Amino acid sequence: MNAHEPSEGLVGRSLLRREDEHLLRGRGRFLDDLPEPRHTLHLAFVMSPHAHARIVGIDASAALSLPGVVAVLTGDDFAPLIKPVTTLINHPSYRPTGRDPLARDKVRFVGEQVAVVLAETPYIAQDAIEQIVVDYDVLPGVSDAREATLDGAPQIHDNAPDNILMADEFKTADFDAVFAAADVVVEDEFKIGRIAGLSLEPRGCLAMCDHIPGAVTLYTSTQVPHLVRSALSVHLGISESLIRVVAPDLGGGFGIKSQIYPEEFIATALALKFRRPIKWVQDRREDLLTSVHARDHRYEAAIAATKDGVITALRVKMYSNAGAYSSFPFGCAMEVIGPRRYVPGPYKIQNSFFRTFGVCTNTAPTGAFRGVGAPGTYLVLEGLIDRLARRLNLDPLDVRLRNTIRPEEIPYTHAHGGQIDSGSYVPALDRARAMIDYDRFRAAQPADRLVNGRLRGIGICQFSEGSGFSTAAWRARGLVAVPGIASALIRIDQDGQILAHVSHTSSGQGHGTVFAQLVAERLGANYDDVTIVQSDTASVPYGSGTFASRGTITGGGAIIRAARELQEKLKRFAGFVLNVDASSIVLEGSRARRSDAPDVSVSFAEIGKVAYSFDPMGFPQGEQPGLEATAYYEPPMATIGNAIHIAIVSVGPEDGSTRIEKYVVVHDNGTTINPLLVDGQVQGATAQGIGGALMEEIVYDGEGQLLSGNLLDYLVPTALDIPDFDLAHMESPSPSTEGGFKGMGEGGVIGGLAAITNAVADALAGTGANVNCVPLRPSRIVEMMDTAK
Amino acid sequence: MTTSTKCEVTLSVNGTRYTRLIEPRYLLADFLRHELDLKGTHIGCEHGVCGACTVLIDGKTSRSCLHFAIAVQGSEVTTVEGLASETALHPIQEAFHQSHALQCGFCTPGFLMTAKEFLAENPDPTESEIRLALTNNICRCTGYANIVGAVKLAAKALREGNPANERA
Ligand code: FES
Ligand code: FES
Repeated sequence: MNAHEPSEGLVGRSLLRREDEHLLRGRGRFLDDLPEPRHTLHLAFVMSPHAHARIVGIDASAALSLPGVVAVLTGDDFAPLIKPVTTLINHPSYRPTGRDPLARDKVRFVGEQVAVVLAETPYIAQDAIEQIVVDYDVLPGVSDAREATLDGAPQIHDNAPDNILMADEFKTADFDAVFAAADVVVEDEFKIGRIAGLSLEPRGCLAMCDHIPGAVTLYTSTQVPHLVRSALSVHLGISESLIRVVAPDLGGGFGIKSQIYPEEFIATALALKFRRPIKWVQDRREDLLTSVHARDHRYEAAIAATKDGVITALRVKMYSNAGAYSSFPFGCAMEVIGPRRYVPGPYKIQNSFFRTFGVCTNTAPTGAFRGVGAPGTYLVLEGLIDRLARRLNLDPLDVRLRNTIRPEEIPYTHAHGGQIDSGSYVPALDRARAMIDYDRFRAAQPADRLVNGRLRGIGICQFSEGSGFSTAAWRARGLVAVPGIASALIRIDQDGQILAHVSHTSSGQGHGTVFAQLVAERLGANYDDVTIVQSDTASVPYGSGTFASRGTITGGGAIIRAARELQEKLKRFAGFVLNVDASSIVLEGSRARRSDAPDVSVSFAEIGKVAYSFDPMGFPQGEQPGLEATAYYEPPMATIGNAIHIAIVSVGPEDGSTRIEKYVVVHDNGTTINPLLVDGQVQGATAQGIGGALMEEIVYDGEGQLLSGNLLDYLVPTALDIPDFDLAHMESPSPSTEGGFKGMGEGGVIGGLAAITNAVADALAGTGANVNCVPLRPSRIVEMMDTAK
Repeated sequence: MTTSTKCEVTLSVNGTRYTRLIEPRYLLADFLRHELDLKGTHIGCEHGVCGACTVLIDGKTSRSCLHFAIAVQGSEVTTVEGLASETALHPIQEAFHQSHALQCGFCTPGFLMTAKEFLAENPDPTESEIRLALTNNICRCTGYANIVGAVKLAAKALREGNPANERA
């Protein structure tokens, strides 16, 4: 964009990204691309091949004799260096599972780290790993959450005899009576496969001592640099002020990099112990073994309704597989407490009964991945609504419409207390219906069910997307150690250039562009004068970081507040220079003008000279030097966006293949800063939802052996699997947030999963197959059809 | 450290000849990244599936994580750093920018190299030909639609000899 374009109207404009050029030239700086300091030691991990075993002994003598191997350390060596990592959740049922950075007595999942090697090169480190002999006493393991709760199942942690880490119950007062009085009840069981976040860049870190005595810097592929700093401080016993955490360019995150991992503690502790830079970069197998997984839920659920299809009550029982340990810092709280807060979302269902369990098993810990508990919960709710429609012989879209919050009912308060402050539920449904020509498809369906030997179906997912959680919203989930704040520090230098430090970390969202649009608009500056700085705790004030779609809401809120304060100061200095009162100054295009005489103006650069006392005029009496402002922002409880996805698919009855023929999305995330980038987020998230619906699955055998440890076994969508999307935006700004923003990064995953699943179910409606288990790999579809025969 | 087993390898990369002493097991991807400091070639799986490490070896796309550097002795290698000039992006890069075809950008160098070979062989492809060609590479961020659009736009720009400066 050219430098003299007016600053007005920057919000809402599809500017191309300023991040692109260096990435396109191959000049991105991801963790493994950072310059390696001299004498860097390479860290590698010995991982358990067993899901559940006692460690009897570790023999590192052969490894230590290899030239270039500097040290081998085991769990006991770290005991004095790093405290066990325990996720804090404030809930009466919760049993915390402390995790040693390296397993000490027992391993609890395949891939759990038992020893580390430090070597002069990564190749030597790998050679050494293979020379370390660990003697295990193998124990029986369990990988399925429901089985893990049965009598006689292997016990994984001493303090959780039934393997239940957390159990929650929520029931509205009238539930039993309403449920019992219903005309019709539909119920089913659902199973959602385990999936991996699979950022294309695996995780890694580089730790080194600083020039300040006792200080340490950790470069790490994280979405949450400040949370990493706090966690390092607590577990290594060093003051936060001596720790600097920097996230370089991130090759995707999607939530898995919002977790804090043992490797980050270990690399930092080793840098301090050996006083040499320590570098670790995982390979894909290590990522699939040790980065948090997600989903792996089983549901037993029911809805009750009148014979006209008015839903009166919802009952959900859910087992969430937490893996071997509560991941840090979210544990299983979001899966266990989240569902009753996500739903009924767009629907006016005032009675519900939720029983949810977080269960530990001998599998990798599960944690945050785009959508967290919402994709599963909506798969169940939207799947049940379709079943209800089939039972009552009503159209599923009409049943949704009948139960959806109408414009005149907003603001609407759910039974769990959550409030919908704005939204476009019914209008979005109508729009999506028109875009995909829903009524025509339905009218033709009886005749057109089988086209070219393939069964065709249409599927809907309507949902709301909660995001931008406040501190109170995290506390409501029991998460006492997750803050809900963000910050922005905006500084104008004496040459008029603007540097905005924002406490968010981009993993591809384009913050460098959208935040600059917002800063420029709110400050009255030229877009090209603004540079965004992120992801370095040494220069950016504290913030929770980037997860749960909070970037625009909380970072945007902080920017708006800081810009407001800085504008006041700019106006005072401009008033001094132009010899008028600050109240008659307007700011635009990086200039301050007199409102009564627009030709009389002064540039931000000239104001900068005054503010930093470089100006011959001198410095205004009583004013604070400098041109900067810092603001923190704590959002309201949560923002609630809304969306609807409708997909048309065809299914091959013989081979079980699914093809997506048409896909529409209508979504509403309130005020949109850059529609082009929002579309990109929707497309990318929906592709991940489609992946979860059709192919992605981490598979363990019953005892916890991983069967999908590479990209040939863990399938993600390619360009042939994902359709072109037909997208439409609606804008219902939130009246409760600064700027009216709502989060939108995760909705596509929610919509993609249920819309595709429901479309497949619709295609198979005549066959008797019960489509209640994802992913719908071809073999599973064939199996479902065979079972029905 | 063992240096005794090292051997000499000579390659031409982006038009410059390099000779280095390396272990025979050293991967081409590591050679490019760590010996030559060409960090634009990314490693996303190291087992030949994701395509992030795609480079051109004598004009043909190849996964640099699957080759030992020594095995391509004497070849001409082109990496993402060889596409643009100091002042201007290559038309394919420009088309990716115009089409918002990258988010995190980790997969992007691989897609660019795949697109370069593909468009050289098929200057006027259909959408399904583009999609098929792109199955060699995984992108976890974009959902592909914009990458497909970018390749279309790049094809047009290359055919017309223009930089891709129109929004798709
Ligand atoms: S890194 Fe070579 S194909 Fe993935
Ligand atoms: S842009 Fe992130 S993997 Fe493609």
